[in-house]
Amino acid sequence: MYSTRYHKPATIDDALAALGAGDEAKVLAGGQTLLATMKQHLAAPSDLVDIRAIDGMSGVTVQDNILTIGAATTHAEVATNADVRQHCGALGQLAGGIGDPAVRHQGTIGGSIANNDPAADYPAAMLALGATIITNSREIAADAFFQGLFTTALDENEIITAIRIPCPAKAAYAKFNQPASRFALVGVFVAKTDMGARVAVTGAGEDGVFRHAALEAALSADWSESAAAKVAISADGLMSDIHASAAYRANLIGVMAKRAVAAS
Amino acid sequence: MDMTGEFRIGAPREAVWQALNDPAVLAACIPGCEAMEKTSDSSFEATVVQKIGPVKARFHGIVELENIRPPESYTLNGEGKGGVAGFARGGADVRLEADGADTILLYEARAQVGGKLARLGSRLIDSTAKKLAAKFFDNFHEYLSKEDNAEEKSAAAS
Amino acid sequence: MTDQGIGARVKRKEDKRFTTGHGKYTDDVRMENQAYAAFVRSPFAHAEIKGIDKSAAEAMEGVIAVLTGPELVADGIGNIICGWAVTSKDGSPMNMGAWSALATEKVRYVGDAAAVVIAESDAIARRAAEAVEVDYAELPAVAVASKALAAGAPQIHDNAPGNLIYDWEIGDEAATDAALAGAAHVTEMEITNNRLAPNPMEPRSAVATYDPIEEHYTLYTTSQNPHVARLVLSAFYQVAPENKLRVVAPDVGGGFGSKIYIYPEEITCLWASMKTGRSVKWTSDRSEAFMTDAHGRDHVTTAKLGFDADNRIVGFKVDTIANFGAYMSLFSSAVPTYLYATLLSGQYDIANIHCNVRAVYTNTVPVDAYRGAGRPEACYLVERMMETAARELGVEPTELRRANFIREFPHQTPVIMAYDAGDFEANLDQALAAADVAGFAARKAESAKRGVLRGLGFSSYIEACGIAPSAAVGSLGAGVGLWESAEVRVNAVGTIEVLTGSHSHGQGHETAFAQVVADRFDLPLDSISIVHGDTDTVQMGMGTYGSRSGAVGLSAIVKALDKVEAKVKKIAAHVLEASEDDIVIEGGQVKVAGTDKAMGWHEVGLSAYTAHNLPEGMEPGLKETAFYDPANFTFPAGTYICEVEVDPETGVTKIERFTCSDDFGTIINPMIVEGQVHGGVAQGIGQAMLEQVVYDDDGQLITGSYMDYTMPRADDVPFYDVHHASTTCPNNPLGIKGCGEAGAIGTPPAVINAITDAIGTNDLAMPATPQAVWSALQASGKSMAAE
Repeated sequence: MYSTRYHKPATIDDALAALGAGDEAKVLAGGQTLLATMKQHLAAPSDLVDIRAIDGMSGVTVQDNILTIGAATTHAEVATNADVRQHCGALGQLAGGIGDPAVRHQGTIGGSIANNDPAADYPAAMLALGATIITNSREIAADAFFQGLFTTALDENEIITAIRIPCPAKAAYAKFNQPASRFALVGVFVAKTDMGARVAVTGAGEDGVFRHAALEAALSADWSESAAAKVAISADGLMSDIHASAAYRANLIGVMAKRAVAAS
Repeated sequence: MDMTGEFRIGAPREAVWQALNDPAVLAACIPGCEAMEKTSDSSFEATVVQKIGPVKARFHGIVELENIRPPESYTLNGEGKGGVAGFARGGADVRLEADGADTILLYEARAQVGGKLARLGSRLIDSTAKKLAAKFFDNFHEYLSKEDNAEEKSAAAS
Repeated sequence: MTDQGIGARVKRKEDKRFTTGHGKYTDDVRMENQAYAAFVRSPFAHAEIKGIDKSAAEAMEGVIAVLTGPELVADGIGNIICGWAVTSKDGSPMNMGAWSALATEKVRYVGDAAAVVIAESDAIARRAAEAVEVDYAELPAVAVASKALAAGAPQIHDNAPGNLIYDWEIGDEAATDAALAGAAHVTEMEITNNRLAPNPMEPRSAVATYDPIEEHYTLYTTSQNPHVARLVLSAFYQVAPENKLRVVAPDVGGGFGSKIYIYPEEITCLWASMKTGRSVKWTSDRSEAFMTDAHGRDHVTTAKLGFDADNRIVGFKVDTIANFGAYMSLFSSAVPTYLYATLLSGQYDIANIHCNVRAVYTNTVPVDAYRGAGRPEACYLVERMMETAARELGVEPTELRRANFIREFPHQTPVIMAYDAGDFEANLDQALAAADVAGFAARKAESAKRGVLRGLGFSSYIEACGIAPSAAVGSLGAGVGLWESAEVRVNAVGTIEVLTGSHSHGQGHETAFAQVVADRFDLPLDSISIVHGDTDTVQMGMGTYGSRSGAVGLSAIVKALDKVEAKVKKIAAHVLEASEDDIVIEGGQVKVAGTDKAMGWHEVGLSAYTAHNLPEGMEPGLKETAFYDPANFTFPAGTYICEVEVDPETGVTKIERFTCSDDFGTIINPMIVEGQVHGGVAQGIGQAMLEQVVYDDDGQLITGSYMDYTMPRADDVPFYDVHHASTTCPNNPLGIKGCGEAGAIGTPPAVINAITDAIGTNDLAMPATPQAVWSALQASGKSMAAE
């Protein structure tokens, strides 16, 4: 490892101050990507600002059918939280399928969303559920938040504090594991919401998570497995790597969408 | 990997060609370019910083223009060493076609990385390369599409 | 005999320390004044080294030295060699390119070390290694063996024109061609054996210490064969004479072949300890392991298997290209020749076999033996061909095998091997019954109702283990003999230490070997200790690989036990005033049969060491040494049956049943043997469905971590159903055949045969990932078959 200054602020203001003061400071939300990258010396931040001890950053509340999840809530906490299970079981199931137990007890929802890895699970849920990302300075709709491969609407040193999720009428997440890493080779989150059917796909897009218009149209008209199965999935814009061609990913989007609807 | 594209630029071919050979323009358009210095008529030294998620790598290397056929086409090649991260190289065959007062720019790009980036990040190589290639040409397009730049270049060309 | 003797399911003695975190591995060794090494590794697959600028690294606080290849060569450290000479069919010797522990003029694969940094801490060493500026001039690279043979391919070693290491053959080509020409049916296939990374749980490590007063070196290292390491380090790499070099391989966490070889890092640590006057430790991280541990397999083969009108095999012709990577590793040359082509007769009576093998340099990490080593490649080829032929001929795959089984022993194959014993049909029948093959059709119909495809695949494997008769391997080019040694020391209190030249790195020798001794003298297991892994303690031995420790290592122990028993009986007969022939050893006592005259086992030991009352002329002490050189290879064999379900929508394959019937000869500890089978089958499933090293066209390793290289996880493998139907090996005292590699050898074809049966196409390569299976289904148009 390489030397870095570690901060554990108790308030957002202190966190922002530490981020601003550092040469190349980074937020540490769970570190499940960042620390591994630092070990390989592919990142060498001057300062790490651990936001997990900030008051109110962690935990789940529910009010008026809206879930609010603190940014520093771990995947394990989301997976096992009773309110999440009752109001949006698909989200709990998704969280319980991220990585392994060690990752789930360190990794956080805010960290995952801010990183926006193209194969991460949470971004698909945020898009499909029409979540709102709350930061220290503003609120951003998920549709505006995710801007492609590892890119988000976050400004430099802006900190996600919480995520607000309107509970869907129905939802499910179907994930097809990349065999080695068990990240999503293709993950499809389907949600029946007040805004109609919303379908988000992770793992497959060349430019990260995206909503699938054709599946949304089909499922808005008819929320059924067969409706999902009838949608022809294009391979355009899908990722190709040693684990899956774009064509295979396209096939999996269709299959996972169908299975997600069946499970919803 | 298929990394091709084409777009229309509202400027004459000469002006576009000038811009493609202007280190200041290239520096402004190469994503993450921190510095670029001309070392000969067709080569430059460059420093480029790339951030892919948490990974941040600074590449030092050279950019060279080859197969130059003014004002029709050239090949742009870049190669940089990123220290512990490994190395990266990329290039594009660029062709300009005059279409009335406009110019059609066509490109075919390629990229390769080596060392740690290849070993650990293979899933991201193609997507990132495609994105960076598109970004370069988007930047270039945007640069020339800004009226003042286009006019300036047009004036310079005439 | 005792409930701790041969055949008992004794829990492993060594697991107490392994499962409680008290194993002592090389990285646990802490020397006083210890420094750390980090290697400067090439990011290029092929490049000239134009210069190395050490200055920035040398200037860093805590850096002790930055050392390079030319300095190592100047100090007389020799090149790394391949120890088995294989001769091309035109009579020319193999073309071995020079391999310096630190590169001198060129680097030839990604990870090839150009320099090493020695520093006060691991972190400083790694950081300084990043600061060493190597000026590389990149050269064109080639990673695929067939492309390396093509005209105009980049030339990797000057003395291997066209990158060809050797062009070797075995068998009678004309006779085989004639047999195929007259065949009623010929099955032709092109088969790829995928490249694998060994991935032992413990990465490689070395701690080297030089004592300038004694001019003596000590090396702790992760080795499967510390004596061979010492021999090679001394005789070929000129590190030090053998008496000035101690090699210790303490607890070693898995090897699978990859820790047989002497690697650049150990040599460099030894040399650096002399240069710097410090103990030098290096421990590989997982990234380095993927880059630098010798890989396995990587063959491409075309083959023709001919049958007569009665479905009897008449000829088998094989043409193989083997990728050796950038340098010839220690046993690399033997793997695709004497460990592969000699097993191409499988379990079948084949009169005509011809195999041609071209070994090729590429810009990839060296390839050498990996669990099974040549035999998995042979078995995969033979058993894929048999299953495919059965489908083409329209006969049951098991019946085609039955029709061609060898039934009389000994059996001389046309490719060197003389099988000594076996009952192939017994294994097949046992597996068929255990797998409930009779019920398969009903299960398949039930699967179809659920929209999934069910398939059944067979593999009847044979392997040559108990490696190996020294004179035989010597005549084939081996640079060493492959005997084993043992010393049995009975202490004055009657406890026993067995010093074995075998090495345990997961095999459970401390238990199984002790069981043999306990069985022999009817003693408690706790009174017997197995000592191995230290050249200062243990007499010269050849180490563990090729499923040899039971068949060869234990045979040496048995020979030493024979000598101990003879002396014990002499002493007891003398003390008890009886005839030697009447002495029996049982229940912790040495008795005169049919009388109440007896002395305790410990009293015999005491008598031997007090030497107050020994027979006239007998030397004091009770310690015997034996060397055992096997008379033949051993031939474990068996049948594996795999049953799979394939989801046609995704290509996901689930192994529903996996049944093994093995003939391992005598089994010492069935629990340990089952564990060996389980591990081997898991590795076989890994090769068949999950694992694949990928280099891109420029020789970049792109499966350099577990993000992209798939290791089998618990939910990738089924519960195994393991059975034994054994014949005794007639060529060693215990009748042991060996069990360490069978699972990895027999499994891949069973899995692929099952999947291809399910999806109705023979065109499927390993690893059969979901994408590969789905793509095969798309190509064959069978994806709708279940719907």
